[in-house]
Amino acid sequence: MIARTSLLVLAFCLPAFAGVTPQPNPSKPAIEATNRSVIRVNATSQAYDFFRPWTKKSPGTRRGLGTLIDGDRILVTAELIANHTFIELEKAATAEKSSATVERVDYESNLAILKPADPAFLTGMKPLALDKGVRVGDRATVLQLEQNGEIAQTIGTVTSILVSGYPLDNLGLLIFRLSAPMQQRDGSFTLPVVRNGKLLGLLMRYDARSQTADIISTPVISHFLAEAAKPAYGGFARAGIAFSSTRDPQLRRFVGLNEPGGVYVTEVLKDGPAEMAGLRVGDVILAVDGRAVDQDGNYDDPDWGRIAFSHITNTIKHPGETANFRVFRDGTILEVPIKLEPRDRSKIISESYIVDRAPRYVILGGVVFMELSRAYLQEWGGDWPKDAPQRLVFLDAFQNELPAGQDKIVFISQILPTPMTLGYENLENLVVTKLNGQEIRTLDDVVSAAQSPVDGFQKIELDEDPGLIILDAQAIEANRDALIRKYSLPALQRL
Amino acid sequence: MFRILILIFLAAGAAYSAPVARSLVRIEATSQEPNYKAPWNPGEVSGGVGAGFIISGNRIMTNAHVVSNARFLTVSKEGDPRPFPAKVLHIAHDCDLALLTVEDPEFFKGTTALEFGGIPLIESTVSVYGYPIGGNRLSVTQGIVSRIDFQAYSHSGMDSHLTIQIDAAINPGNSGGPVMQNGKVVGVAFQGYSGDVAQSVGYMIPTPVAKRFLKDVEDGHYDRYVDLALSYKSLFNPAARRALGLADDDRGVLVGSVYGGGSSEGIVFPGDVLLAIDGLPIASDATIPMDNDSVPLAEVVERKFKGDSVTLDILRAGKPLQVTVPLNGPWPFTLHANAYDEDPKFVMFGGLIFQPVDENWMAAHEPADLRLRYTFDFFTEDKLYKERPEIVVLSGVLADPVNAFASDFRHGIVDEINGRKIRRLADVAEEFAKPAEYYVIKMAGVGRPIVLERQAVEAARERILSRYGVTREQNL
Repeated sequence: MIARTSLLVLAFCLPAFAGVTPQPNPSKPAIEATNRSVIRVNATSQAYDFFRPWTKKSPGTRRGLGTLIDGDRILVTAELIANHTFIELEKAATAEKSSATVERVDYESNLAILKPADPAFLTGMKPLALDKGVRVGDRATVLQLEQNGEIAQTIGTVTSILVSGYPLDNLGLLIFRLSAPMQQRDGSFTLPVVRNGKLLGLLMRYDARSQTADIISTPVISHFLAEAAKPAYGGFARAGIAFSSTRDPQLRRFVGLNEPGGVYVTEVLKDGPAEMAGLRVGDVILAVDGRAVDQDGNYDDPDWGRIAFSHITNTIKHPGETANFRVFRDGTILEVPIKLEPRDRSKIISESYIVDRAPRYVILGGVVFMELSRAYLQEWGGDWPKDAPQRLVFLDAFQNELPAGQDKIVFISQILPTPMTLGYENLENLVVTKLNGQEIRTLDDVVSAAQSPVDGFQKIELDEDPGLIILDAQAIEANRDALIRKYSLPALQRL
Repeated sequence: MFRILILIFLAAGAAYSAPVARSLVRIEATSQEPNYKAPWNPGEVSGGVGAGFIISGNRIMTNAHVVSNARFLTVSKEGDPRPFPAKVLHIAHDCDLALLTVEDPEFFKGTTALEFGGIPLIESTVSVYGYPIGGNRLSVTQGIVSRIDFQAYSHSGMDSHLTIQIDAAINPGNSGGPVMQNGKVVGVAFQGYSGDVAQSVGYMIPTPVAKRFLKDVEDGHYDRYVDLALSYKSLFNPAARRALGLADDDRGVLVGSVYGGGSSEGIVFPGDVLLAIDGLPIASDATIPMDNDSVPLAEVVERKFKGDSVTLDILRAGKPLQVTVPLNGPWPFTLHANAYDEDPKFVMFGGLIFQPVDENWMAAHEPADLRLRYTFDFFTEDKLYKERPEIVVLSGVLADPVNAFASDFRHGIVDEINGRKIRRLADVAEEFAKPAEYYVIKMAGVGRPIVLERQAVEAARERILSRYGVTREQNL
C-alpha cells in the first residue's frame, strides 16, 4: 500500500502546469516564518522483498519537507520514512546536514516525529504552532522546495473537510481537502500546508487530474502528538463496526424506525470494542456521545460541520476512553457504552501492511513457508486483486469470516528446487493445513511440527492440489548447508 | 493459453475435380446470441459461413460452433448454387462437433458419403478443405501432421480432448471442413491461432473424437463426455514414493482432489495412488501406453460412454486394491463451460433481476465482486455446490423508486429471502410468489438486507414493465 500511495503523491509530475496559475504574493513575514520552520528530509529506505523474504529490495531515496514543531521535533508523514535505513535532515538554504532518528511513528494516521542526532542543529529555527479553526473556503499554502533551496508556495482553497480512509490501513480519520494546482518538484513526499504562519496539516496524497490534495488534518496531528507525549503510545482507537445508510424508507419501515436519523450496523468486528460492548449487526446507531447521527452516519461537529461520527470514536476520543452509543434495537432504545481500543494488530490474520520489520519465513528442504499478508499480495502490483493468486486474495479479503482459532494463514510461497524437491518444482502459493499430522496455525507451528517427522518423512498436507507433499527428513538435515550455499540464503528461517 | 485460440468460423461470407468435392458442403448459419444483461430480450442476430462434409445416413458433420445458437441454416453443395434449408440432428458442445441433415432428399443425390480413417502419422501430408476467408469458393490447403496431443477445445472453454496439430493454413471459414488423407477423413478442422500469436499452427479434431460422437448419438441422444472427476499429480519425488510404499519403477500418480457429485466420489480418495486404469499401467507422469504411443491416462475415459465404467488399480495406505468407477456426467463442472442454445434463466421482481451464474453470465457481466468471483472460481474445488447448487445473484437493477437503494447490492449472491435459504433460482420465484408484507432479501456476506414492500412492488410493476420494455418477468 505504501508504494501505491506514494505514487499518487509522485504523480504530481504527469501534467505540465508550469505557469498556469499566477500565484499571489504572500506577505513577506509569512515567508520568513515558514522558511525558518521547514527542513528538507532525505530518507533512504529499503523494503523487504516478499517474493524472497530473506532479502531486501534495492534501496531508494524519498525526499520531503518536514516541519519543526515545539520540542525540537520534526513532523513528517510516516510514508516518507517507512522502511528507512537512514534519515538525513538538510537545511534548504545552506545544505547543512544532520542525521535523524524516528522518535514516534504511526502508520495508521500516517504521521512520524523525527529528532536530529545533533540537538544544536535546529538552532535558529522557529517551530510552527498548529492552526485551529480552518473553514471550508479558506485559503492555505502548500510549501515545496525548489532545487536551489527556495521555498515555492502554492495557494489553494479548502474545498471540503471530511472523514476519509488513510492510506495504509484505511482507518477513517479527518482530512482537509484542498484544491490547488501543484507542480512536480523534487522531494514531494511530505509537504507542509500552512495558514497564517501556522501549520494546517501535511499533504499526504495529490491527484494531479482533479488537482485535489488530501491533507492530514490538525485534529489528527493533535491526537498523535498527545498520544506521543504519553509514556505508553496508544494510537488511534476504533469501534470496530461497519454500517450502511438508512435512507431507504422501506428498510426504515421494516426495522420499525421512527427516529429521523440513524445508521444500520452491517458488521461488528470479532473481539472488537463494539462486540465487547454488545453491539450487533442490525442495530441502528442513533447518536454517539449525545450527538445525533443522521441517515448517512454524519453528525454536526461544532468545529468541522457535518462529518462522520467515526471522528468522535477515532480522533476526539483516545484509547481507553468510552463513547456512548444510543442504539435502536427491536423497537427499543438502548444506551451502549463502548470502551474504545486500537486494533490489536497481533490478532490480525492477514496484515494489511508490514513496515519496518522483516516478513517471517521458514525454509524446510527448499520448501518456503510464509504467513499470508496483504503486503505479500501487493507484490503483484497495482492490479493485485486480479493478478495475485486468487485463493490467497480471497482468504485475505474474507479473513474476518474464517473460523475462530485461525491465527495466521501459512502457505508455501515457492519451492527452491533441489534434488529433495524433485517433482515439486512448480508448486507455489498453496495453503498448508498440517505438517506431520499437526495443525498449522502459525509459522512457529511449522518449526515445532518439523521436529517430529513421521517415519523419517516430513509430510506437508494442503487444502488443495496436490494435497500432500512428502520430503525425506534426513536428507533435509544433511543438506541444510548445501541449500544455504546454493541459494545464498542468510538463514533457513526468520521468525 | 487456449483463450487465444480462435474458432475458425468465418463471419458473414465451383467446380473441383477431386471426389471430395461431391461430399463437401458450405454452411451458412444465421444465429442469435442470448442476452444475459436483459434476459427477456432476444439477442443480436448474426450470420456466418462454415464447412461440413457428408457422411453415411444422409448426415452432414461440422463443428458445433458453426451451428450454435442457429436460428436458420442453409447448406449448399460444391458446384450447385441451390441453398437447402438444413437442421441440427445432434450437437456436442464439449467436443465441438455437430450433425446436420437436409429434409429434401434431392440434396443428397449425386453426393458421396466420406469415410473416416485413423490417426495419421506424424509428418504425413494432409489436405484441408473448406471455405476460408479470401474468396467464396472451395479452398484446399495442404500441410503435415505436426503434433498429436491433448488440447483445450475453446468452444466450450472447459474440455480438453485429443487434438492433432497440422501446419496447413487453417483460417476463419475452414471450420467443420474435412481434413483428408488417402481419400479418408482423418480430422475436422476446428481452431487455430491468429497470425500474431503463432504461425502455421492449426488444429483438427481427430477421428477417435469424431467416432465417439457418432457412437454416443446412436441411441438418438447425446450424453456428453464422462469424467473421473478427480485430480492427480505426477509422482517423481523419491521420498514421496518411498513414503507411499511405491517401488522405484516410475509408476503411479497421487490423487489430490476427488470432486463431489462426480464419478469417483466415495470410491477414490485423496492420497490414493493410481497404478493402472483398465489394466494399463500408469506411468509417474500420468501417461499410459495405448496405440503404440504414450497418451494421458484420461484417454481411457475419453473413449467411454455414460454408463460405462473403468477399473482402477489403487494403492491406498500401502495396500493394493482394485475399484470400479461407474462413469457419470460431469456436473458440477459444466458451470464453467460456455453454454449454447440456452435461454437465459431469470426472475424479475420489483425491478430487481435475479439470475443463476454460469460462464456465459460471467462473460457478459465481468463482475469485480470478490465474493462472487470466489464462489464461481472455486465452486467445484471448494465444493460450494453443496450449499447452493445454483449461484443466484442480483444481476441487475431496473432503476425505479421501489428499488432506489438496491443498486449497491448488484452482483451480490442471494443468500436468503424471508428466511429461506436460496439454493436455486426456482426458490427465488417461489418466495416472491408467496404473499408477505415485506420481502427481506439477504445477500451473502452483507449485513444489511434489501427490503421490498409488497405494496410498493405491486404499484411499480406495470410501470417497470412498460418503461423498460420487459416482456416477461421470469424464465425458470
